[in-house]
Amino acid sequence: MTGTIETTTEAFSRTPPLEPIRTSRRVRFLEDEQLDRLQDATLHVLETVGVRFPNQRSLEILGDHGAQVDPATQIVKFPRDLVMSAMAKAPRTFTMAARNPDFDLDLEEGTSYFTLDGCGVAVIDPDTGLERASRKEDLARQARVADYLPSIGFVWATISAQDHVRTSQLHEIDAAYNNSVKHFQGMVMGDEAARFAVEMATVVAGSRETLRERPVFSNLICSIAPLAQDHAGLESALVMAEAGIPVGFLSMPTLGTTAPSTSAGAFIVGDAEVISGIVLLQLAYPGAPVFHSIMKAHADPRTGTYVGYSLDSGVARYAPVEMAHHWGVPSMGACFGTDSPSAGTWLSAADIALDPLLGGLAGPELVTGMGLSRTYTLMYPEGIFLDNELYERARYSLMALDINDETLALDVIASVGPGGHYLAEEHTRKHMRYALKRGLEHDLVSGRYRDPIEVAREKAAWVRANHHPEPLEAVKQAELTRILEAARAALG
Amino acid sequence: MAPVTPALAPIRSARRLRLLDDGQLADLRAATLEILATIGVHVPSARVLGLYEEHGARVDHAGGIVRFPPELVLAAMARAPRTYTLGGRTPDFDLLLDGSAFYVGTDGCGIRVMDPVTGAVRPSTVADVADMARVADALPALGFYWPIVSAGDHPATAPVHELLASYSNTVKHVQSETVVDPVMARHAVEMARVIGGSDEAVRARPPLSSLICAISPLAQDAEALEAALVFAAAGVPVGIMSMANCGTTGPAAIAGSLAQGDAEIIAALVLVQLVHPGAPVFHSMMPGVMDPRTGGYVSTSISGEVAYAAGVEIAHHWGVPTLAGVFGTDAPEPGWQVAAESAVNLTLCGLLGAETGSGMGLLDACTVLHREQIVLDADLHERVRVNLAGLDTSPGALAVDVIREVGPRGHFLYQPHTREGMRRMRFSSVAGRRAPDGSPVPPLEVARAEVARLLRDHHPEPLDDAQAVELGRIVAAADRRLGA
Repeated sequence: MTGTIETTTEAFSRTPPLEPIRTSRRVRFLEDEQLDRLQDATLHVLETVGVRFPNQRSLEILGDHGAQVDPATQIVKFPRDLVMSAMAKAPRTFTMAARNPDFDLDLEEGTSYFTLDGCGVAVIDPDTGLERASRKEDLARQARVADYLPSIGFVWATISAQDHVRTSQLHEIDAAYNNSVKHFQGMVMGDEAARFAVEMATVVAGSRETLRERPVFSNLICSIAPLAQDHAGLESALVMAEAGIPVGFLSMPTLGTTAPSTSAGAFIVGDAEVISGIVLLQLAYPGAPVFHSIMKAHADPRTGTYVGYSLDSGVARYAPVEMAHHWGVPSMGACFGTDSPSAGTWLSAADIALDPLLGGLAGPELVTGMGLSRTYTLMYPEGIFLDNELYERARYSLMALDINDETLALDVIASVGPGGHYLAEEHTRKHMRYALKRGLEHDLVSGRYRDPIEVAREKAAWVRANHHPEPLEAVKQAELTRILEAARAALG
Repeated sequence: MAPVTPALAPIRSARRLRLLDDGQLADLRAATLEILATIGVHVPSARVLGLYEEHGARVDHAGGIVRFPPELVLAAMARAPRTYTLGGRTPDFDLLLDGSAFYVGTDGCGIRVMDPVTGAVRPSTVADVADMARVADALPALGFYWPIVSAGDHPATAPVHELLASYSNTVKHVQSETVVDPVMARHAVEMARVIGGSDEAVRARPPLSSLICAISPLAQDAEALEAALVFAAAGVPVGIMSMANCGTTGPAAIAGSLAQGDAEIIAALVLVQLVHPGAPVFHSMMPGVMDPRTGGYVSTSISGEVAYAAGVEIAHHWGVPTLAGVFGTDAPEPGWQVAAESAVNLTLCGLLGAETGSGMGLLDACTVLHREQIVLDADLHERVRVNLAGLDTSPGALAVDVIREVGPRGHFLYQPHTREGMRRMRFSSVAGRRAPDGSPVPPLEVARAEVARLLRDHHPEPLDDAQAVELGRIVAAADRRLGA
């Protein structure tokens, strides 16, 4: 069948090495002057309009450091100098560690580690083929798929563990660590849940000190456009930053409803939210590892509903990345996440096929997110394998072309001569192994190529059945279970 | 009343990408020159061999091989113009090839058509060429027209029937990829003269260009080279294409196939420049990869796509425009695979500053026409065009005043800025459509309906009567002469 597993003497499958998109051929889509103008607009918004921080501790920290806090409205205005000096404390690079150190991500511009899409709420059940609400077991399965795919650098909770209502975010952590050796990025909200999450990450890392040195966990906090932070998100961000866990702020402005109807305006709203969050953490915990992310969407002008893809969605693949780098912090770029209700359709590729190339060329350190359809809500088992194919096209196209005496093959060309053929050449035998990277659409049966969608489905089934990565040590598994029980008691 | 052909919407990239560095381009150039100097190219025509020899190439008459001193190659290529214009039937559709715009045309030359009504595949006819010329005329994404399928109902003189059907149904520039012998080329030049109005007009704004394919490895077709010289003499731009296939007709490593393909192209372009110095030419590298299990041709593999982009840079390194290979997927029918195999390469060629590319509308490795595919391809083209145009950071787009007005936790729905901006928001023309009952309409169905609408409603400015009569006379003469 369609997969290969490296056999080991151990009773588990080896996780194949990561294959991030690396390119030395970066494109700067925005000019310096444009980046300055965008940054200046963000500073202006932060200084004159402000951002709402509905969280007492945050307001105190910000007020203590010279931000202008209005206790009645909870709106904070940021003097420019305060923003600039706080941002200067944020590290440009850091490591996001993995359960297995071979899969640590050393963040650097120009190497892009992709992850799963998130956070879906429905799955197409691989056994029945019917749609149903997502469960923890679905995430556990998909974490194994993510572990198997070299294109996936780190794991996201791609669908919600809805069968564990109030502790779903913690059960997602449990599902990920038990099914992948890669770094896990969660979306944990609230002070108490964040403390449980830190405990879980500490168990996996081994100790608080190790967790700080090699954070096996990172957390993503979503702000509320326009220009507001979330109380539970702020609580969590402060807990995580204190523990040395990298925290990303993500803004999802929707053009026309929660943001201006122009891309640049939406990026300003998003940037102001993200930067205000990062400033808070840098003031509270100077040097805390952080990253920056803006993912824009659109309001359908006829219905007001949320649409992920417009014709200019590619702009959102590069502009926020360049804005983050202009601030001097790592970026989490946004790719994939088609609006197509089904996987494997023309639209499901047309929406997203440009994304990994444009994203890769901009050089974000982290990128979301493969594997969901219907605007990040629905997981088809084959979806991630189809998205992976698009990723591979971008990755190969951005690799440096191998040009040397061996690949130029002038002696072979001379020996074949005009009108000959290369089939009998030793050089052909040697290089043909690499000349055709066989994708889903080049799976042969009886001399004919099979339907790539069917191949993807089979591949998904094969990985589910066969890829079982190195398990977490039993004692750590038990400890995570114990923490989950405590969390259930505490959080309900 | 004939609707006006909408203005062209080529890809204009705000930024440029270089995939190959100077050292790599120099290595490729050196390899090409070495192949041309020491291995040579097979030319099975005493007359053409004589022309090469007359201008300083080393000719082995017995073997039919031409070898080129590097300085001869460099001097000849130095005469080729870097920029020139491809004329439309009307000047509004002229294509200035100066690197500021990437014009994509139709694909060609298919031989079968999927009937949208019966679902059956049938051989293509001149009526299909005419129909698709009208569809291409209506789509701003199409910069020029390749007769998309063969006029299979006119087997002996298909190329001139294809040109007649094209000129009669689009005001856009026409590029022929099927006129490959000198007799047909003379008829084609006559037709171009009718469209242009005079010999001088054809030279200034050639309404026709031509594409000639080399035979890998390292061979030329005698008739095709003669045709190229007929075109060049008339000022009709000539492109030479190599389709070296990694593993069968080219080395199994991409770099070797690029060097060999380049040598094939340059050998023919040098001939054109030696005989007609300064003639407008272009360079087209479209290498495939062999499937090692079947020996079959794979045009759009994960690992082979970069060769098309590299071809663009090689052309520019020689100082000539390129015809890039875009679209032309191996997918057997419309669907996921088509978009998956088309987007990356189109984006790369746009970023690299390709001047022209082909092409949209065919499937199954450029052999089968599914009419609706051209609308889907045009939608993908539009996505690339909009995204490569860059980000508007003007004060109106930054909208800081509007952000201040709304403030934290507000919404933008009531803002006049929103009303204006929502009108300018661009969504896919085929995605997100809903039927009256609210159910989603698949893009394929939207595209099918759009083709039907265009065929019913879009009738571009016709040829004037005298031109129509004259073109008909030329085609009739070709039919008589060539025994149709």
